Amino acid sequence: MAQDGQIRYWKCLEERNGDAAWLAASRDEFPEPPLVRRPARREFLQAAGFVFGGALFAGCSRAPVEKLIPLPEQPEELVPGRATWYASTCDACPAGCGLLVKTRDGRPIKLEGNPEHPVSRGGLCAVGQASLLGLYDSLRFEQPLLEGRAATWEEVDRAIGEKLDAIQRNGGAVRFLTGTVHSPTVLASIQAFLGRFPDARHVVWDPLSSAAIPDAHQRTHGVRRLPRFFFDKAAVIVSLDADFLGAWISPVEHTAAYQAGRRMEQPGAEPSFHVQFESRLSLTGTKADRRVVVRPQELGAVAARLAALIAERAGAKFDAGEAPPPVSGELLSELADRLWAHRGRSLVVSGSQEIEVQKLCNLINQLLGNYGRTLDIVRPSWQRQGSDAELQTLLEEMEEGRVAALFIAGLNPVYELPASARVRERLEKAPLVVSFAERPDETTKLAHFVCPDHHFLESWGDREPVAGVLSLIQPVIRPLASTRALVESLAVWMGEPRSAYEIVRQHWRTRFYSGPDDEAAFREFWERSLSRGFVELETRRLEPPGRFDAGQVRAPKAAPQAPAGEFTLVLYPKVALREGRHAYNPWLQELPDPITKVAWDNYASLSPATAERLGLAEGDVVRIQTSDGGGAAVEVPVFVQPGQHDGVVAVALGYGSVLTERFAGIGPQWIEARPDTGGDGRVGVNAAPLLTFAGGTVRYDRAGVRLEPTGRRYELASTQMHHTITVPERLAPPGGERRPMIQETSLARHMDDLRAGRLWEEQERTDLWPPDHPFTGHRWAMVVDLSACTGCSACVVACQVENNIPVVGKDEVRRKREMHWIRIDRYYAEDGGQLRVAHQPMLCQQCEHAPCETVCPVLATVHSEEGLNQQIYNRCVGTRYCANNCPYKVRRFNWFEYSHDDRLANLTLNPDVTVRSRGVMEKCTFCVQRIHEAKIEAKRRGEAPADGAIQPACQQSCPAGAIVFGDLNDPESRVARLWRSPRRYQVLEEINVRPSVTYLKLVRRDIEKEERSPAHG
Amino acid sequence: MASVSQTLRPPLVAGDKRPAEVTRDICAALDRRPGAGWWAMFLPAFALLLLGVTAVTYEIATGIGTWGLNRTVGWAFDITNFVFWIGIGHAGTLISAILFLLRQRWRTSVNRSAEAMTIFAVLCAGMFPVIHLGRPWFAYWMLPYPNARGSLWINFRSPLVWDFFAILTYFTISLVFWYVGLIPDLATIRDRTKPGLRRRVLEILSLGWDGSYRTWQRYETVYKLLAGLATPLVISVHTIVSWDFATAVIPGWHTTIFPPYFVAGAIFSGMAMVLTLMTVARKAMGLEDYITVAHIDKMAKVTLATSLMVGLSYLTEFFTAFYSGNQYEEFVFLNRALGPFAWGYWIMLACNVGIPQLFWFRKVRWNPFLVFIVSVFVNIGMWFERFVIIVTSLHRDFLPSSWAGYAPTSIELATLAGSFGLFFTCFLLFCRFVPVIAISEVKGVLSVGRSRQPAGRRPLRSGGATEEASVLG
Repeated sequence: MAQDGQIRYWKCLEERNGDAAWLAASRDEFPEPPLVRRPARREFLQAAGFVFGGALFAGCSRAPVEKLIPLPEQPEELVPGRATWYASTCDACPAGCGLLVKTRDGRPIKLEGNPEHPVSRGGLCAVGQASLLGLYDSLRFEQPLLEGRAATWEEVDRAIGEKLDAIQRNGGAVRFLTGTVHSPTVLASIQAFLGRFPDARHVVWDPLSSAAIPDAHQRTHGVRRLPRFFFDKAAVIVSLDADFLGAWISPVEHTAAYQAGRRMEQPGAEPSFHVQFESRLSLTGTKADRRVVVRPQELGAVAARLAALIAERAGAKFDAGEAPPPVSGELLSELADRLWAHRGRSLVVSGSQEIEVQKLCNLINQLLGNYGRTLDIVRPSWQRQGSDAELQTLLEEMEEGRVAALFIAGLNPVYELPASARVRERLEKAPLVVSFAERPDETTKLAHFVCPDHHFLESWGDREPVAGVLSLIQPVIRPLASTRALVESLAVWMGEPRSAYEIVRQHWRTRFYSGPDDEAAFREFWERSLSRGFVELETRRLEPPGRFDAGQVRAPKAAPQAPAGEFTLVLYPKVALREGRHAYNPWLQELPDPITKVAWDNYASLSPATAERLGLAEGDVVRIQTSDGGGAAVEVPVFVQPGQHDGVVAVALGYGSVLTERFAGIGPQWIEARPDTGGDGRVGVNAAPLLTFAGGTVRYDRAGVRLEPTGRRYELASTQMHHTITVPERLAPPGGERRPMIQETSLARHMDDLRAGRLWEEQERTDLWPPDHPFTGHRWAMVVDLSACTGCSACVVACQVENNIPVVGKDEVRRKREMHWIRIDRYYAEDGGQLRVAHQPMLCQQCEHAPCETVCPVLATVHSEEGLNQQIYNRCVGTRYCANNCPYKVRRFNWFEYSHDDRLANLTLNPDVTVRSRGVMEKCTFCVQRIHEAKIEAKRRGEAPADGAIQPACQQSCPAGAIVFGDLNDPESRVARLWRSPRRYQVLEEINVRPSVTYLKLVRRDIEKEERSPAHG
Repeated sequence: MASVSQTLRPPLVAGDKRPAEVTRDICAALDRRPGAGWWAMFLPAFALLLLGVTAVTYEIATGIGTWGLNRTVGWAFDITNFVFWIGIGHAGTLISAILFLLRQRWRTSVNRSAEAMTIFAVLCAGMFPVIHLGRPWFAYWMLPYPNARGSLWINFRSPLVWDFFAILTYFTISLVFWYVGLIPDLATIRDRTKPGLRRRVLEILSLGWDGSYRTWQRYETVYKLLAGLATPLVISVHTIVSWDFATAVIPGWHTTIFPPYFVAGAIFSGMAMVLTLMTVARKAMGLEDYITVAHIDKMAKVTLATSLMVGLSYLTEFFTAFYSGNQYEEFVFLNRALGPFAWGYWIMLACNVGIPQLFWFRKVRWNPFLVFIVSVFVNIGMWFERFVIIVTSLHRDFLPSSWAGYAPTSIELATLAGSFGLFFTCFLLFCRFVPVIAISEVKGVLSVGRSRQPAGRRPLRSGGATEEASVLG
């Protein structure tokens, strides 16, 4: 065995014995028969056929291709899941507020105010917030139009170029009609473009015209400028129908300044005193210390009398004329005393379009020495530059057929101009009409060419809202459609195509940059400006205003008394819709008017006395008939509005445009759903045809209209039941007429409290049970200052954008099913003939003893360790018990699956916030996603979140700074300090739900009481 | 002789029936084919049921938005209907359990149908908490069952959870109680039925009942025990339903009077519904001898008594609100009486407190037609009571800014109609397939032996009527 030293192993006896059969078998690879019988050829083909057929069959349904974030080459600054912020400038209106644009994964999802911006100081109004949706508007022009059909840019450029060449040869008139443009680059481009034609002019007109102010300055000061107003520097503010907190020239700027001048948390503070003369109840009027109701025609008499009284005190002479002022002389002389006592620290502004009234204001401000202090025409505002006179000239030229080419940018004149302007017929006479509109409107239908401009979030640009503040616009997303910037279009037509970036940058380099002339130094300047969003420098030398020409100022003639049955029509812009440029925007349409609380419609406001006299009730449709035979008339439902002049009927502008035809099916469609648009397929009624031209300006008031009941009724969509002044008198229990949800204190008492260092005292509370929530870490809380809140509703839209809140449509709002997580409750009170208005932002109070939490059967709403009342959407079964049991009624239920069909509009959705499905409850979360973001960031850096680092969307947008959020457990935080304010109170404190939101009492200043108080004067 | 019979109570069953006649009379409806009258009632009821099914299907497919609710009024028709039906379901247990324990033998003629009514009413009621959910497909989340979703559990502090258990318990006990009481009668029918499937089913359902002494003894014991168990439920169910409101902070809901107030109201509405059904059924099914005017008289008295209790509750609520000095409470009650839903309040007051006062008059109580009319008004009034409590409290609560109105949609009206459809469909089927009067129990209260005259009318055999139940076919 062991030959040659090798041991041989064997595995069985057969092997050892060398059994032949075994050996033969062992050579076979498969000694045993195979398990599977070798298939016959036919069987193989059958099997193969089955497999191929099956594979083919399975392959018929194509699996959807889903991309994650397909960025193999990830841009340096882009981190998935983290927001990137870009500084820019808001272009939703000519106010030019500074923006910070929040982008996630390359798409802008939220606009916020830039806190450093010298114009807006951190706030952003409702319109600015909502303008984000304009970017993702699927009905925007996707390419240029040539005679109404889609075309390419090459076709359009060739066709326009040919026409322009012909005009250049023939010397035809070229007119460029725009709204206010304060972009230095755009202005320069337009000038350069127009410079190529022998007869060319840039006509500027504003649909919400303030042309009377610059026109008056032209006459009194020799320069046509709109002054920049500094409401923060004025201790006494007199407003003659200027709604500067609402929809006047620059609401965010003015609100921030106004509230800065009315801070009252320091013992020595002297909040400004504000008197408002107006004919309808404006947002500004609701905040006034003294509000006087006058007809628009009587403003002249008020201004003249005031001017005479001031002149008397100044030792000057001014004849007030014989027009008797509609208010008591006592009131006016007291006001004059007050103004005189605050010479140089007072401000008289007027929203009137009567040049005579504006000249009187100039006189008063001049006599008081306010120029250079509270209003500035040396470094003026560029936010309104329109000239109604120039527009009229243009219309005449068009009438005569003298305009060969008309370029229209930023305006929709067919819609915005009065019927008497007959824009439609006049436009048809022009051989070449080019519109730069972003979306189809009344004017683009008549334009020969439509060269759609970018949305401002897609484009490069600059703005100069006030002299010396240059603000940059940078694109935060690539253009979504084949649109082109206005400056690029002009450059192409001038034969020197360049990108907007190059044009803006070049303009800045040559005009604004003053450093060493090398690219690196300029780039540093450019990038610094770009990252801040603005730069403050002198852009142009302006000629100094001339000496004040008092001879220009005359007292107006007495306004004739209106004949019985005739009313003065006042056309006004609403906070959300303004002139109607953003009427396409459902967020703005659904935003309830801060005063009437009506969304989705305009209406004829009448005073209660007038409505009663005419036998009209809310919802009765009336025909507003102009008496001068112009034939212009509108039919709108009546709304009864306290605080309005008995002889005035007020209708909002901005409604009834073709932009609103898209809202036909915006709400949930079900068996009893009623249409969201009117009979003409639009939202509201366009009142612009009732505008008039008079005395060289467009007038928003018009005497001599009649009201004719039509007998029809219309249900307005109101979020707040009308006339809930508090409790209907008939039902009021004794002593309970006024509910204490709005609490007030007088300025004198508040100042006493501050001087004495009194703090809010926690009442001794005995509780049977140990506290449920010890709050050992953070405790989030909010303080809302009712004195600061103007009701502007910026927070409502900011919240809607931040938290993916759906739009539900007019019918659902009528059914009281609006979804806003924060609302502004408006309450009226009548006190000695003075209407008092309180705005109260109402949101989830995050109660410590939350009534909603105990009643939820499935624990879908629970308390967090940091004081948040959390709603867990995917646990909610929808009993609605929590909403019933909420004393503040801030919970919102998803009655339907709200539409998220517009995939483009869905790009606004905030990826940090769940989109709620049907059947679940939702409500304010204190922007818990922001709290967590800040906490994670702080933890990463190893420190506690700084006070102020967390701002809910509502606080961030608030121009007035009325909302303060923070950690109550940090005694030095702003919120903790305000929590101890003597003005503090909690709404419905008596039911002991212990809210985490507290309010600061409304400080009222009573003019009579103050007179007696020696502390003021 | 005469003096002896005068001391006896008047007979509970008229017509001097013999036990065999009782069986024959009561089973008659089961034996014959349904007549035109039955179809005339069944078809509309079934149509209503189908309408309701359609409405609920649409609502579940589309959303709660198809109801007229809003951000302020989160409950209206849904919970009104729920409480209404739960209230109706009260009379059954009251009659079968409490009156049994109190040895009110007149109950024997009405207890079977009252219990059936209870079960169908609870069925109708139980539907609403499910369909009123935003996401009814997750209704089972209200159950405390072990799950794989982490530590998710239900909130035992929520009255809705208490409700869930209370109603489930009540339904179970009512069903078992009804079924146990039905066993001897099922055996009777079994014995009358020819062999076949029907008999087979009845054999199983009657649990092998043989009519022996031992069977009876155990049956009586179980029945008494169940009656004892069911009695607290009469009080507890509606007490717990009232806590849905009483534990809330909303003025008009947040009140301690609710439990007794709701229980009284429930008995009131339940009695009224029994009267409505019985006055019709006795006529339609020819059972005037069993459900006599005297029965109706007794139930009308109970109705009158509970009407007064309910009226007292209304007054007490007002007084408490006034006496509290709480302006929100005061307002809610003034708003109920004078506000936009005042019509509902005055309907409630008229139907629940005004009209039942007619029952003070014997002439009214002894006139089944008038009793029927009054009982229908009470039913209407009690529905409005719940509507008033729920809607008028919610629609104007603390902050006037959130005040809203409410109007039902067609879907809600159809759902309400559908619940009546379900109820009457079930009840009419019950009349067809189950003896509407407890045969065995009625035999115990027959006038057998009360009088010797005439001799020929005496029963064929001596012995207790109950014993004959399964022997006599």
